[in-house]
Amino acid sequence: MKQAWAALCAAGLIFGLVGAASAETVKVGVIATFSGPFARWGEQFQQAIKVYQKQHGTTVDGNTIEVIYRDDGGPDPARAKQLAEELILREKVQFLGGFVFTPNALAVADIVTEAKMPTVIFNAATAVVTRKSPYFVRTSQTIPQVTVPIAQWAARNGIKRVVTAVSDYAPGFDAEAYFVKTFQAAGGEVLESIRIPLATTDFSPFYERVLQEKPDALFIFGPGGPPTVGMINTWASRLKPAGIRLLCTAETQEIDLPKIGPAALGVVSSFHYTETVDNPLNKALWADLTAMFGKNTVPDLASAGAYDGMELIYRAVAKFGPRATGDQAIGLWRGMAFDSPRGPIEIDEKTRDIIENVYLRKVEEREGKLVNINFQTIPMVRDPWKDEHPE
Amino acid sequence: MIDATILLDGLAYGMVLFIISVGLTVTMGLMRVVNLAHGAFAMIGGYVAAMLVGAGVSFFAAAGLATLLVGMIGAVAELAVYRPLYRKGELAQALMTFGLTFVVIASLTSGFGTGIKTLPLPAALGGVVDIGFRTYPAYRLFLVAVGLGLALLLWLLIDRSAYGARLRAAVDNPRMARAVGIDVNLLFTVTFAGGCALAAFGGVIGAALLPLEPFYALRYLVLFLVVVGVGGIGNFKGSFLAAILLGVIDTGGKYLMPQAAAYLFYGAVLALLLLRPNGLMPAKSAT
Repeated sequence: MKQAWAALCAAGLIFGLVGAASAETVKVGVIATFSGPFARWGEQFQQAIKVYQKQHGTTVDGNTIEVIYRDDGGPDPARAKQLAEELILREKVQFLGGFVFTPNALAVADIVTEAKMPTVIFNAATAVVTRKSPYFVRTSQTIPQVTVPIAQWAARNGIKRVVTAVSDYAPGFDAEAYFVKTFQAAGGEVLESIRIPLATTDFSPFYERVLQEKPDALFIFGPGGPPTVGMINTWASRLKPAGIRLLCTAETQEIDLPKIGPAALGVVSSFHYTETVDNPLNKALWADLTAMFGKNTVPDLASAGAYDGMELIYRAVAKFGPRATGDQAIGLWRGMAFDSPRGPIEIDEKTRDIIENVYLRKVEEREGKLVNINFQTIPMVRDPWKDEHPE
Repeated sequence: MIDATILLDGLAYGMVLFIISVGLTVTMGLMRVVNLAHGAFAMIGGYVAAMLVGAGVSFFAAAGLATLLVGMIGAVAELAVYRPLYRKGELAQALMTFGLTFVVIASLTSGFGTGIKTLPLPAALGGVVDIGFRTYPAYRLFLVAVGLGLALLLWLLIDRSAYGARLRAAVDNPRMARAVGIDVNLLFTVTFAGGCALAAFGGVIGAALLPLEPFYALRYLVLFLVVVGVGGIGNFKGSFLAAILLGVIDTGGKYLMPQAAAYLFYGAVLALLLLRPNGLMPAKSAT
């Protein structure tokens, strides 16, 4: 009789625990830009997350994963910090994600550390970000990581003299520094490094200067949006006819290619995500995005970052249940390798930053559309900045 | 021959500045309304033209239709929003027109998204022309021609026509103008509509250099205001001169010392305004 009681109690305890666990909701707070000129970022994050949840369900072992979105409105560190506080203290989220801009990610580093909050950076690409909190991991890229391969490719492919023209702000300086360093180390010559003010509308005088120097190629880094389109269009009308090639990284994103037109054909760039990359995850992501959000939806680096960020969070909940601590989650993520729509990726065991393929791609026409096509893969590239700046 | 190229580039850029801000010279310069919604009207024009071109209308017909349509929208806006503001002072005008700009930005964002709206140039303007010492983009030569044509047209209309005389009279002293039988209300509606139409025309024609997107209205607002301010409020000839001067200084600076380019444009604005606080050619009544 006593034994039966004990068994019943034990069973009750177990069922009770399981019952309690299955009823739990895991909240994930996503801080990103959903309004203003950069609203596309937040939209791409959100759509990729919805696709991920459609493919993998909204529950993990019975625990509901609920995503709460907060709009930081653009590069606004104070607002990002306030939103992180609200999500952690009031909404009691278990994970944080998002962060389009580096200043916003840096602004939440201290709170994240204090709350031991596992936080996935979906974009913010300045190399130093993951150093600022032991609870940061990153699923995007760093600027040095994607810039070094194009400089190496140029040096190996008959391009000897280059002018660089970058937008006059911190990410532009990173791109310029790593392009120049890599290209010179490979025996190339950098004739001049021009920094173009962010507010520039007419790029022709800068390019007229480039034309006089007669380089083999021009390397550019733009901030996205109108200035980037201006940079490429002016190259197409002034420098391309003179036989000066264009080298870049994110500037030939598929979403911007129609604005550049046929002039973009043949432009070579290096980047960690290519829309046409041939793997089943990418095909499924693209198919679901267009099925759910319209036929003109195109996945981009933001989609890949958010999609893989969700993968990390789902894996942590699957392993540790709904009450995963920050240390457990980060411990699990360190060294974790899995397949992403962009190809294989790994979270660096030491730096918590991403290790991933970087692709050399060329703009080509397929079925009447301009797309990037990969022609070379540089496998599993680490962030060079971290190797050069050990902790 | 590089000097000639810089000069030509500067001239073309100056003409763009003139074309996109000439509408503001009319509404803010001549009519003295602090019209911060100028860029919003320009951008509506651009979006309308882009939609028309997308539907198969030719670029020039689309430019004409967009200009006309925005002129009509401008007339409605003048009756509904601007007329009550004429006597309310500059702060009320700035707030109201800035608010209007946000409404337009939000409307375009919800309708078209935050991305760039492409307005492709016609084939005739997309190519290059041989101008003797080098080939040069046809589009830029077209801008120079359009800018000169507009300046001439405005000069005839405002300085040399009875309409211009009435307008200047009505702005300087509306009560006296009414007393001598000028229909000031109608004159203002027509002129404001004209200013909006010019804004739209600039938005369409300049779209290849200033790409259309919902934040166009704010992104280039400083440029518009600088041209009108440096030129001298109330004088479109001053705006013309200011636009060309600033275009040449900016272009020359970027070419000759790119490291200082960020400062040169605004440095020139500062210097010009320090030397001539009322602008290059202030209106007579403003001095």
